[in-house]
Amino acid sequence: MFLAVGMVKNRFRVGLMFSTTGPYSIVADSMLNGALLALEEMNHSGGEVSFDPVVVDPGGSLQNYSLRSAELLKSGVRHVIGCYTSSSRKEVIPCFEKYDGLLWYPSHYEGFESSTNVIYTGAAPNQHILPLIDHLVTNFGPHAFCIGSNYIWAWENNRILRETIMAQGGSVLAERYLAIGDTELDQMIDAILDARPSFVFSSLIGVSAYLFFRKFRAACLSRGIDQPNQIPVASCNLSEPELAEIGEDAVDGHLSSSVYFSSLQNSCNKAFVANYAERFPDRPLTSADAEASYIAAKLLGAAVSDARTDEVGAVKVAVAGRWFEAPQGHVMIDPATMHSYLTPRIGRSKRGATFDVIMEEKTPIPPDPYLVRSGPRYGAPSSREHLWVAS
Amino acid sequence: MAPRIVQNFRGGRAVIFAPDGGIIDVLDTTLHKLGISVERQRIPEGQSIVAMPALHVETDIIFVDGDLDVTACLNGHLTVLRSVPIIGLVGIETPGRLKALMNLGASALLRKPVHSGAIYTALFLGINAFMARRDLECRLEEHQRRRSRRRIVVKAIIILMQQGGLDDEEAYAQLRRDSMRARRSLEDYCEDYVNCRSTTTLDQSPTRIIAGP
Repeated sequence: MFLAVGMVKNRFRVGLMFSTTGPYSIVADSMLNGALLALEEMNHSGGEVSFDPVVVDPGGSLQNYSLRSAELLKSGVRHVIGCYTSSSRKEVIPCFEKYDGLLWYPSHYEGFESSTNVIYTGAAPNQHILPLIDHLVTNFGPHAFCIGSNYIWAWENNRILRETIMAQGGSVLAERYLAIGDTELDQMIDAILDARPSFVFSSLIGVSAYLFFRKFRAACLSRGIDQPNQIPVASCNLSEPELAEIGEDAVDGHLSSSVYFSSLQNSCNKAFVANYAERFPDRPLTSADAEASYIAAKLLGAAVSDARTDEVGAVKVAVAGRWFEAPQGHVMIDPATMHSYLTPRIGRSKRGATFDVIMEEKTPIPPDPYLVRSGPRYGAPSSREHLWVAS
Repeated sequence: MAPRIVQNFRGGRAVIFAPDGGIIDVLDTTLHKLGISVERQRIPEGQSIVAMPALHVETDIIFVDGDLDVTACLNGHLTVLRSVPIIGLVGIETPGRLKALMNLGASALLRKPVHSGAIYTALFLGINAFMARRDLECRLEEHQRRRSRRRIVVKAIIILMQQGGLDDEEAYAQLRRDSMRARRSLEDYCEDYVNCRSTTTLDQSPTRIIAGP
């Protein structure tokens, strides 16, 4: 699909694969909208290329992710912006490798991956969890209670937190997991209140997370505990549209580590927020997920335009090392890892479903998906290894 | 205590015994992403032995292409190869090729064509399985060494029983206590005791009978 000389505009089909139905539909909806907004902006910009979005909804089913990916790629689509959970991304990568398509993955994730068929525009672990741990230990204390949805995102985040916090002399009092979509939270909340940690680190996603915030706040209130200050909940996957789902009674005082918040005060973000709200009046709140999709689509557009083709190899060459002025600030694709330079921030939620930014890096941070520069050489010792008796 | 799990390979060096070519080029790229430098070893055609660079036990990892005669060529370096982790590159899945890699000491395998998503896993398994195996070998060696010196301990027990009027349990406990007090292994302590180079806390007389020649 090369551009013909003299043609004013060439159209390319782009797959948008998000589970806008299912247990994490709120986030997926934001991601879809971010990508749609970017494609529409490019289509109306008068450039040489334009894009036809091909939207598919796997409905949160892993099997559907493989099927939909294969259908898209077999139909001639070469680029798909999509996936939220790591399990869905892992499910589709073999398909992208088989058909030599390119997945633009617009979500923060746990790292330890660098597929040649994926461009990662979300945050790597050195850009989300490591800054958050420093902030939590410094401001609230070294004893964590980890909760999460039972899949790789929570398992790995909790591992990184456990190793980092133990190296600093702290501890993880307990780890508890729920199936995605599970809402049986009472035992988990009782266990947290019994343990009285310095903070709760939550990797719950979707409906489990929203209900947890409501029930935990209510349980703390009934015991006279000032939850945001005495047992704050911190997360690397809490965004503005999700704050709206939590509801006004329990929305404030939660900590989120993210590279983007809708409250950022720069002209690019102001335009993004305004355009997004105008385009999607039913769900007007921007989020890190929406912005990551927006970045992915914009970078894809720029790379196709530069390469004058949507051929995967040429697009990868064109996008590597490319800077982009995003709503969060400067963003660049690292040629070595095809992950993004992003700016870590920590926000504290407040009423109105927004965040106050309470910490931010001065410049974009290079991605370190394998924690080569940021992680320890050795894993945490097994809890069984306390004493070795020599005889 | 079992060795701690290595999960960050920054600062390592991969020494690769394989022909140049696209089939494993992804290996170089991914190893660099993981903070590992790469050194390709040339394999001259028809040579029966290949040159082996000086190996650094703490940082080096060897990759060997099992499809080549290189496994046979490397047999001359078995002793030095035992000191570092080896990861086999497998193309032809025959018992003969796999056995050759196993005999070299490969503790993990990577299927050719090499897939970038499999490299971290192979390194993790290869390095940690190697360390666990080396730890077990050291422990086994230590146990064998101690077992071979058991006769010395028995001699010391008998001497102490004869001289101190103790039963065997008491004599053994006494020797063990004294060896710990001296911060020495039981075997070393008993050897000195038998050779009259040390005394137990029970010994009253300097005229102890010297055992042995």
